[in-house]
Amino acid sequence: MKYKVNGEEREANGTAITVSDILTNERVQNQDMVAVQFNSEFLNKALFNSTSVKDGEEVDFVYFMGGGQGRI
Amino acid sequence: MNGFTTKAIHSPFAVNDSHGALRMPVYDCVSFELESAEEMEAAFAGRKPAHAYTRITNPTVEDFEQRIKAVTGSFAVVALSSGMAAISTAILSITGAGDNLVASKFLFGDTYSFLKETLSGLGIEVRFADPLHPETFERLIDGRTRAIYLESLSNPLLYVPDLASFSAIAKRHGVALVVDTTMTPPYLFNSREFGVDVELLSATKAISGGATALGGLVIDNGTYDWGNNRLLSACAKKYGPFAFISKIRKQTARYLGGCLAPHNAYLLSLGLETLALRLEKSCPNALVVAEYLNGRAGVKAVNYPGLLNSPFYEVAARQFPRLPGSVVSFEFLDRETCFEFINALRLIRRSTNLHDNKSLCIHPASTILSHLSEAERVEAGVTQSCVRLSVGIEDVEDIINDIDQALEWRA
Repeated sequence: MKYKVNGEEREANGTAITVSDILTNERVQNQDMVAVQFNSEFLNKALFNSTSVKDGEEVDFVYFMGGGQGRI
Repeated sequence: MNGFTTKAIHSPFAVNDSHGALRMPVYDCVSFELESAEEMEAAFAGRKPAHAYTRITNPTVEDFEQRIKAVTGSFAVVALSSGMAAISTAILSITGAGDNLVASKFLFGDTYSFLKETLSGLGIEVRFADPLHPETFERLIDGRTRAIYLESLSNPLLYVPDLASFSAIAKRHGVALVVDTTMTPPYLFNSREFGVDVELLSATKAISGGATALGGLVIDNGTYDWGNNRLLSACAKKYGPFAFISKIRKQTARYLGGCLAPHNAYLLSLGLETLALRLEKSCPNALVVAEYLNGRAGVKAVNYPGLLNSPFYEVAARQFPRLPGSVVSFEFLDRETCFEFINALRLIRRSTNLHDNKSLCIHPASTILSHLSEAERVEAGVTQSCVRLSVGIEDVEDIINDIDQALEWRA
């Protein structure tokens, strides 16, 4: 199945992958300070383990440091 | 790791220093290099946790923010260049033209002027009310009210608002409770426990300690639903509880530019490590000074909420279980007596600032509140006969001896 992370296409075996697994695969650090969006809606941290991402769905994550785009 | 000081000292910094430095180094530089164009793109898009430019973020500043987060147990922290930068940045992040705030009428002079003059020029109305009567705030709240704004302890008269009542009002109306806690910094006051949504403070004061560096803090306790704020509702949809912090990081602080200098962050981190130790000395000193002044001939009134006869003793004991800070104010008969007393001091310094290691003395009406009209000063309750002492960490006998000789001299 195919899904998108921050606009880039990814592939996974099976029919779904959890948000937690995606963040691990993407080596996301300091998960306490990362905002995660699932299909463009904010996803609470408590739901990372139980939210399954299926074919065609999207996950985005944003750190609030670095350059950071001006627009919000 | 539960203790305040243990956390302040041992909160680990995230840098793997090649020399094994035990303290976060000072990254006194403007910009940071990334390995490729792709990494730069990812950092600027927020997909990579990297620092790019010190006006936005910096490793030493971030380390200070993380230490504050650890000792306060808060959700997120932004450190800025001064207490006023923290106040202005936070307020301009949650209000816009047509909105209003309901604020205490007993505020630090610069805060009062910022709210009354600067915000009104931007179309943001500030409705002032009496913090000793929370119901007067509730009557002024309407559909465009974005926050209730208070100080945990007013300066210089040391009035103590009942924060539990204000928290209940804020929750009832879905507005944020924003409190400046400079007079009762972390260790003395757990803002989250009393329903404060956003804590603002001047790190220049108690956290710096030796008055070595300016700095300010915006502390988000993560307790307010920012989806209730029209300016942040789109942000809340995307970033959830990060809405307020994202607005500050990505817009307000970024564009106003009140960033904390890395060297100041270093000095403030040093100060944070000894904050509790210093407050354990200065606050009991303040109580001794207040008790000494209380009832002295020529002293009309003493303001210190740790005094048993203070009208704020009970609420202060509840909100500040250790002691209510290290500032004492008192009233002489007139302005001339205040000036004579201040001029007679030998150890206590004639200076503004608070929570310095040194004891400091000032006549508020002619200095820090001199830009207010007489009517505004009267409304704020500050008279020409008021003196403010910020009690330091010296040996208390020396402080008392200095006050004593100054009182004797004028007698």
